[in-house]
Amino acid sequence: MSEVLTEFIRALRAADVRVSISESIDAGRTVELVGFDNRQVLKHSLGQVLAKTEEEKLSFDETFDKFFAFDQFKPPPKREDGPGQAKDGEGEGEKSESGQDAPSDGEGGEEGGAPSMPGQSSGGDGGAPQGAQSGGKPGGGPVNEGDVRQAGPNAPGGQNLLEMLEAGDAAALQMALAEAARRTQLNRIRLFTQRGMYVRRILEEMGLETLDQAIETAEREGTEAGDARGQEIREMRDGLRAQVRDYVEQQLELYTANAGKRLREEVLSQVRLSNVDHRDAKVIRQLVKKMAKKLIALNSRRKKRTLRGQLDVRKTIRKNIEYDGLLFDIVWKSEKVDRPKVMAICDVSGSVAQYTRFLLMFLYSLSEVLPQVRAFAFSGRLGEVTDLFEKEGIEKAIAETMHVHGGGATDYGMALEDFADLALDDVDHHTTVIMLGDGRSNNANPRADILDKIHDRARRVIWLNPEPKSLWNTGDSVMRSFTPHCDRAQTCASLKDLERVVSELLRTAV
Amino acid sequence: MKPEDEIQAVREGFAKGGYICDKQIATSIFLSRKLGKPILVEGPPGVGKTELAKATAEYLGQELIRLQCYEGVDEAKALYEWKYGKQLLYTQVLKEKLGDLMEGTVGLKQSMDRLHEFDDTFFSTEFLEPRPLLKALWSEKGAVLLIDEIDKSDDEFEAFLLELLSDYQISVPELGTIKAKSTPIVFLTSNNSREIGDALKRRCLHLYIPFPDSKLENDIIKARVPDVEEGLRKQLVAFVQGLRTLELKKHPSVSETIDWARTLVLLHAETLDAELVRDTLNVLLKFQDDIENVDGEINALTTQAQKASA
Repeated sequence: MSEVLTEFIRALRAADVRVSISESIDAGRTVELVGFDNRQVLKHSLGQVLAKTEEEKLSFDETFDKFFAFDQFKPPPKREDGPGQAKDGEGEGEKSESGQDAPSDGEGGEEGGAPSMPGQSSGGDGGAPQGAQSGGKPGGGPVNEGDVRQAGPNAPGGQNLLEMLEAGDAAALQMALAEAARRTQLNRIRLFTQRGMYVRRILEEMGLETLDQAIETAEREGTEAGDARGQEIREMRDGLRAQVRDYVEQQLELYTANAGKRLREEVLSQVRLSNVDHRDAKVIRQLVKKMAKKLIALNSRRKKRTLRGQLDVRKTIRKNIEYDGLLFDIVWKSEKVDRPKVMAICDVSGSVAQYTRFLLMFLYSLSEVLPQVRAFAFSGRLGEVTDLFEKEGIEKAIAETMHVHGGGATDYGMALEDFADLALDDVDHHTTVIMLGDGRSNNANPRADILDKIHDRARRVIWLNPEPKSLWNTGDSVMRSFTPHCDRAQTCASLKDLERVVSELLRTAV
Repeated sequence: MKPEDEIQAVREGFAKGGYICDKQIATSIFLSRKLGKPILVEGPPGVGKTELAKATAEYLGQELIRLQCYEGVDEAKALYEWKYGKQLLYTQVLKEKLGDLMEGTVGLKQSMDRLHEFDDTFFSTEFLEPRPLLKALWSEKGAVLLIDEIDKSDDEFEAFLLELLSDYQISVPELGTIKAKSTPIVFLTSNNSREIGDALKRRCLHLYIPFPDSKLENDIIKARVPDVEEGLRKQLVAFVQGLRTLELKKHPSVSETIDWARTLVLLHAETLDAELVRDTLNVLLKFQDDIENVDGEINALTTQAQKASA
């Protein structure tokens, strides 16, 4: 399998596309089949072999465009009005490679800069980045054409960096850059702090030394022309350096874009939710979605449970025809494992609000496997917010909930009374009731007897408390009176905890 | 032939049969034939997933064998079953003939040896009732096998398909392994009512067919409903495309656009107007809620569609 492909698959993996070994072998065969000639065909083919969901296809398209974009090398715009160029205005007749590219509509751009994929003909959908390049060229056109007379003798891959730069030969420069990057093993770049080192190494590989020497010789002459020449080369060198830096940054992003994100997600999933910064809210939201998706994938299959001792007569007869109708192989009746009905009673006052937000976000992201979720919110009085969540988006519904039910002193007694009025009749042996709250009832009667009633009827009652266990029953916390009526009471402080709770909810649901 | 030419050839072949597709789809057919891999086709309902298999069968001149999946589909319905009735009859016949066969044998051992001289015909292909999967493997000329709505089946069945999909062979305990006579082209379609397992996905090429863009949809209508005039066609496609940008329970798919085009031809319509749209909207939208929601937008969408075609 070609090195390019291996690199590409690594970049894909970094972009959260899961590629198995067998899939990469398939990709190798695909590339053998379609070759690198046609960008679009290659993209479609690899896309079907490597990306297997809608989201993966999106990441794939993005990575493909980034990875196979050989267009970074623009002739430094600075040169347009540089002093050295105007007098070089000979050889107009020679058509430059870049001159040909300019008029073509975004496809030709690849030709100029595609060392490992020569002769691409139709690259319709890769147009965006290439278009930008072609667009950039006509601007530098008149000057470039003047310079290009050197591009002839100095064929692509020519050794002399200075000549290439003077010629503005983007293709040759790109090739030299790619080659230097390969030799310095740029694909091993992991940290952004390594950028400087790689830039320097690549420049050295490309022949920075010759440039410095040229500057030195030019300036040593001491004449005005010499100084000007030195200045000119200096500018070219700076331009080159900027471009190499761009290239390195691009590669860094390609290979490590998600590594940082992953680390951040890892940390965020374990941090206490009340400590989450506002700016991380978006990441957390995505994280919740991701976790929810995982849980859905794990639980989307409907499980069956055999009922021992109940004969399924119909199936047994059908199955035993092959034994001449002797009832030899017995089939028992089985029942499907139901999805639990969930009722979430959430405290939305002050410090607990943040947890409520994420619990509800979780529950509602799971609508595929948890079809029946009812949500109730309270601080003083309790109200049902199910409709709100079904109609509005999660974010808006949460804001609305906070607005209507939030604020005010927590009163568990009142809230439980309200709940009993509203929904106690609907609690049955399929229902799981989740209470989320810190159990601090501001010295009001907690009415644990109502919770006991709920517990009698419901399949389970789970109490989630954001506070660590050591703080339970301190101050006005009345967890002591609640815990006997819960099947489980546990601390739930981070996303990881939440995930564990919800996962258990799904797994053991009957 | 270069790959892109072959892909183009597939497209043209499909177009002849009235199935208009983009390069993506043609590429997947090309790849599937060359790599010998099944294609898992996903996408919203009604974009022509099943139709793709039919078109492929027609294009290649091969038989289309279809297996519709549902909850509870199992080996007996998908792969093979023994013809129990025939086996019973055979036993009866055997009993009668047994006397003749055993003539001249002495003792149990000899009779058993005599019996063993005859093959174990009881579990032979004679008595095998092939179901779609086995039919596809037995097909001499190769076949197009369509496993429709795989997401509706149970995961046991999904696991059972793995052997077939990766090696084009299946194991029948009594007979051993049956290999495909010629590799069939396999399509699996899914509406994503549940996540398909990774193992299955890994063995397949993955093709996602989205709603077509207006140019492609235009071509499709042109091929499918040739009677509709160009002006009207552009308008109705623009209208449907507009409809898909709205928030709806179910967006109209290609099959619905085709139905609508046919309806409009039947009504001898020449241009779209709001009245006409209102009368025929139930062809496009299948939920009363959607129809009510769209009602307010009809005028705007119609004008937009008229403009688009101008």
